[in-house]
Amino acid sequence: MHASTLKKLARLVIELAVLLGIYLLGCAIATWFAWPIPGGVIGMALLLLAFAVGWVKPATLQTGAGLLMAEMLLFFIPALMSLLDYGGLMRDDGWRILLVIGMSTLMVMLVTAFTVEAVVRLRRPHEA
Amino acid sequence: MKLELMPMFWLAFTLLAYVFSRWIYRRTGRYLLSPLILVPALLLALAVPLHTAYAEYSSDTHWLMWILGPVTVAFAVPIWQQRQMLMRYWSALLLGMLAGSAASIGTSFGLAKALALDSSVTLSLVPRSITTPFAMPLAHELGGVPELTAVFVMFTGVFGAMLGSILLKWLPLRSALARGALFGVGAHGAGVSRAHEVGGEEGSVAGLVMVLTGLLNLFCAPLLAAVL
Repeated sequence: MHASTLKKLARLVIELAVLLGIYLLGCAIATWFAWPIPGGVIGMALLLLAFAVGWVKPATLQTGAGLLMAEMLLFFIPALMSLLDYGGLMRDDGWRILLVIGMSTLMVMLVTAFTVEAVVRLRRPHEA
Repeated sequence: MKLELMPMFWLAFTLLAYVFSRWIYRRTGRYLLSPLILVPALLLALAVPLHTAYAEYSSDTHWLMWILGPVTVAFAVPIWQQRQMLMRYWSALLLGMLAGSAASIGTSFGLAKALALDSSVTLSLVPRSITTPFAMPLAHELGGVPELTAVFVMFTGVFGAMLGSILLKWLPLRSALARGALFGVGAHGAGVSRAHEVGGEEGSVAGLVMVLTGLLNLFCAPLLAAVL
């Protein structure tokens, strides 16, 4: 049991290292060609290409990718703490900011849901 | 005595708060105790009385944000796994994402202008509906403040996940595609977890749509920068 746990951990570390490597490659390409696209997006395109060509199977990276996506919150917590510098802004404009976010989110959800629903019903009225 | 002067104090506290919040949320399942709300609350509860500045906090922890890069790469996995759904329903999903993004950008910008918010705040609000790894670079491109955008993205997620559940009870949506897209475009990561609770198909749609909407918005950055 101990050996298998260790093996799983080693496998996870390798998967994470591969994803990291692809990211760094993406960054290098962005710098090399002076593209304004973030390195992560180029890395994602490279990985999709690798899936399409059949070099890598998605299952091979699933554990590492799943972990990164599941723990995403941890990686942007530091940005949230910028609130420490925006206490004044939040006190003065907080209610207006929240009003914008609230109203806008309502609009986005209504527009998105009704657009998708309408297209689905138009395309296959018997099924929807 | 000055605890916060210990090297890596804030990193240790952040990790601790994160692990603790996840544990609490798993045990209680209460939305108000979800890590998205509890972790920043715990950190602020300590940092505000200590008069910690953001620069001080982030000197220990800023490298965590760098991992959002590999997270973006990882997004290739759900896109690839959902490619059949994408090919089958691409027109409905694409139109939904375009209309939803236009609504998001238009109303965020318009309302912020109408309420006379500062221009850097307004520009930071524009990417608020997309997932953080895309929202922060987009804010940078537009001339907003990426950190402030991350805060607005969090508010959107917290509020959107609740609002989405309420809307689903009221709206006559027959297709799982529409229910999933509502969460994916409207409430990014927090919405995707909520969509998974509604149903497997809704969850997959929401996850796919969240990533693709982020990409779509990011690729529209030059256009947006010219218009806004």
